[in-house]
Amino acid sequence: MISEKNTVKRIGNQLLFTGPTLLAFIAVIIVPFIYGIYMTFFKWDGISSSMPYVGFNNYEAVFNDTKFWTSVWLTIKYVAASVFLINTVAFLLAYLVTMGIRGQNFFRTAFFSPNLIGGLVLGFIWQFMFNNFFTSIGEKFGWELFSKTWLGNETMAFWALVLVTVWQYAGYMMVIFIAGLMSVPKDILEAATIDGTSGWKQLIHMVLPLMVPSFIVTIFLSLQRGFMVYDVNYALTGGGPFGSTVMASMHVYDKAFQRFDYGVGQAEAFVLFFIVATVTIVQVYLTKRMEVEA
Amino acid sequence: MKKLSSLMLVLILALVVSACGGNNANNASNANEGTNASTNTGSDSDAKEVKITILNSKSEIHTQMTNAAETFSKAHPNIKVEVISTNQDQSPVEKASALYASGTPATLAMLDAGDIEKFADKALDLSGEKWVAELAQPNEINGKTLAFPFAVEGYGLIYNKEVLDEVAGGAFDPATINTTSALEELLQKIEAAGKTPLYIGSMDWSLGNHFLAIAYAAQPDTDVKGFLEQLKGGSADLVNNATYQGLLDTFDVLKKYNGGKNDPMAVNYEQSTAAVATGSAAITFNGNWLITELLKSNPEGEYGFIPVPVSNDPTTKANSAVAIGATKQMFIDNEKSTEEQQAAAKQFLNWLVYEDAGQQFLVNEANVIPAFKNITLELNGSLAVAINEYNLAGNSIEFAGNFVPGDHWKVLGASMQKYLADVTDRNGLAAEIEDYWKSVQ
Amino acid sequence: MQMVNALKKGSIYIVLLLALLFFLVPFLILLFNAFKTNAEIIASPFSLPVSISFKNFGLAMDQMKYWSAFSNSAMITFISLTVILICSAMTAHYFVRNKTRMNTMWFLMMVASMIIPFQSIMIPLVSIYGAELGWIQSQPKLTLMFMYVGFGSSLAVFVYHGFIKSIPLELEEAAQIDGCNSIQTFFKIVLPILMPTAVTIGILHVLWIWNDYLLPVLILQNAGSDNYTLPLAIQVFRGSYSSDYERYLPAVVMVVLPIMVVYLFAQRFIIQGVTQGSVK
Repeated sequence: MISEKNTVKRIGNQLLFTGPTLLAFIAVIIVPFIYGIYMTFFKWDGISSSMPYVGFNNYEAVFNDTKFWTSVWLTIKYVAASVFLINTVAFLLAYLVTMGIRGQNFFRTAFFSPNLIGGLVLGFIWQFMFNNFFTSIGEKFGWELFSKTWLGNETMAFWALVLVTVWQYAGYMMVIFIAGLMSVPKDILEAATIDGTSGWKQLIHMVLPLMVPSFIVTIFLSLQRGFMVYDVNYALTGGGPFGSTVMASMHVYDKAFQRFDYGVGQAEAFVLFFIVATVTIVQVYLTKRMEVEA
Repeated sequence: MKKLSSLMLVLILALVVSACGGNNANNASNANEGTNASTNTGSDSDAKEVKITILNSKSEIHTQMTNAAETFSKAHPNIKVEVISTNQDQSPVEKASALYASGTPATLAMLDAGDIEKFADKALDLSGEKWVAELAQPNEINGKTLAFPFAVEGYGLIYNKEVLDEVAGGAFDPATINTTSALEELLQKIEAAGKTPLYIGSMDWSLGNHFLAIAYAAQPDTDVKGFLEQLKGGSADLVNNATYQGLLDTFDVLKKYNGGKNDPMAVNYEQSTAAVATGSAAITFNGNWLITELLKSNPEGEYGFIPVPVSNDPTTKANSAVAIGATKQMFIDNEKSTEEQQAAAKQFLNWLVYEDAGQQFLVNEANVIPAFKNITLELNGSLAVAINEYNLAGNSIEFAGNFVPGDHWKVLGASMQKYLADVTDRNGLAAEIEDYWKSVQ
Repeated sequence: MQMVNALKKGSIYIVLLLALLFFLVPFLILLFNAFKTNAEIIASPFSLPVSISFKNFGLAMDQMKYWSAFSNSAMITFISLTVILICSAMTAHYFVRNKTRMNTMWFLMMVASMIIPFQSIMIPLVSIYGAELGWIQSQPKLTLMFMYVGFGSSLAVFVYHGFIKSIPLELEEAAQIDGCNSIQTFFKIVLPILMPTAVTIGILHVLWIWNDYLLPVLILQNAGSDNYTLPLAIQVFRGSYSSDYERYLPAVVMVVLPIMVVYLFAQRFIIQGVTQGSVK
């Protein structure tokens, strides 16, 4: 039998260690989220004081909203491209700036600097880059790729978004990789070098397996940021050209605040959450298994 | 462990219930004086001090508005005015609804004209105000004056006077451009003079809510509301609509002479404006608010408006008229604000209309065209003067963007961009417009 | 061998320098344009500034009430961050060491919550803390900090969780045999080892809180401009159609600079923390 005192102590510890965090978490995220789900059963324009109950009508509307599903599919393609590129670039950069070369701190800071600029300025600068800078380079050297602004073409605008996303997050993920690489025991690598194992082999067989915990975090974060992308989408393309780059978050947002269909917008947000939750849980589960094997 | 998890569950439930239960009582919390008191700088004893907030959606005049609020407070020491401005990240309506959701609505909120109706059940009825008599045009929703028209604005083809005087070899008269072919001749002449004739800004709001909206406003046999009803009902047939076709004929001409025609989607607001301001291009399509941006590149420039022709018949009204309307409207909150706050807000509006300092602010600081007959100050800036001249002469059509739903600029702006970039043709565009309107409830 | 090494080093530098160009060009454009007039910015966004004058910096500073906004931002960032870093580390540690079904559930819920689009809880959030509880009206800054703790702990717990698992349990057991209670064990043994991770999480969170716009705009805007944070304060320069760039860009630079300094400082700390950790 566990003594009464022990149980009290255990509950006390649980409250002490997890109480403050969980309280804030529940109060700020869970409660509003549940309240938000509750609101999906009402028809509301976001303003009016009348809010009639409509049952599952809003969810029916979600499934009939073809534009929503187009935006979800586009988001999935965008996530696939950007997650792959962000993690590859970030790991490569992290690897290069932890080799102990001269000036590596400077490089780290430089690669991280895109994260220091937020929202509109970022969009403003990159619009200038695509509309003027690249086009003038294209003109000068006669490069077909840059002859017209990427933002005026449906396919290229998509890749412009991916490019800016990689630019923005590669440095961020690099910081996480650096933390991971620092904890790779140096003596093992030194021993391997003395044994004559090439750097490339060391990387694949020794470093990468030890980096799985970092990859879990970075892949998760880039998935999450990709699925929820709004800022870059808004500031760079604004959903254009011709509405071809409207990602899921932007669609949901417009539905609620420009179409004044708050209930449907909220229901779409919930469906989106459900999709992303499924994808990321599968990702975390799969990578955690790799971690065990490694 | 079990005990604890059930405790947590109870806690969550309690929070949820209190949150949801509270919301249903939204209207009942009107009487929640405690909330209001804290907005009123918290000093209940000093009951005379009233604090009001103004939600300003013309963010380009934020500084001027703040200064005006200070001037007003000096004249009325018991009233404190705080100005909140919206910006590109949040639409005015979203801002206003967020403020309502948090229980702290602005006492006076300035929104786009088309959005006022949504707030009709929250707005104070202003029909009894003195200034209603001074309105140049009635400003009613369902027979009541719910909002105060803050600014009259208009748009058309903005031209650089110096450039066109040079091309015309004398004073250029915009009234001579009253058909599509006359416009084309002018553009040809500019080109022959070695200048870029014009730039079409590819902004979706400009193409959708301003350019395309001319087709709604310039219909010969029905007004904007009537035509929009036809579109919603599916009875309007754009392919066989003379005004729609005429407007796009003009658009085709504009496209032909567009300085950015090789890469039309790269032409943005800042660059098209700078080109006209510096005189490297003669014309661009935009509204009188462009003056702020024009002055950035050339503080000395003089500009005017050419109407957008919709036919080759000089007698068509729209060919010599620019689109003009009261685009920004202010309403007083009637849900959470105290009577003292409402009275103070009314005082502020009267100050704008009747006091010299208020009028000076509107005309010379905010650079807007007031909607009131009694304000006779000389307008500031060539574009405001030009719009006012068209207005006084009766040469105006409705600012149809005031009557369209909130996502019109984005959805149909995208469709217009497709047409601009030759991704779709006229019939494709017509189909997209008709589909959009049928989906509007 | 020497040749190969030199070649290898050379190619590494070439790759790094190319990457540097890609990463820094937009940043340099921001810096150059901060010294130009509106007309120059629009006409030639890629040219070097004609002259270096800090006039617009001074004007922007006055207009946005820089120092008031700076101290608000600094206070809000510092307090929220401290609470997040300590409380989340405790929570994550507890989750790792006590794998009950309930703790796993909470952990998964926190991870899943990071996927909730902010816009979908925006209206419920402000109506609960504004219209219903009145916190936004009575204690705007405190409410904002509380919300940052709520929104920020998920990511922090998630990142800590991964790293705590790599701390050998023996260390903690040894401490407990020495008579430390769980609180002492955490602060004396676990937290020091977590320092590099904490700094990493700290950097990510500082950036987010410092640059965050949407949450402060919802919570602080009605509290008057004396309570504004930096991202709110620089909105003075933004119009609905276009911005007053000659003031806005210097203002942006002044918002970014403090963070840059913090980052450079923290980076050194990461390296120190790691070497210390490996000595033990």
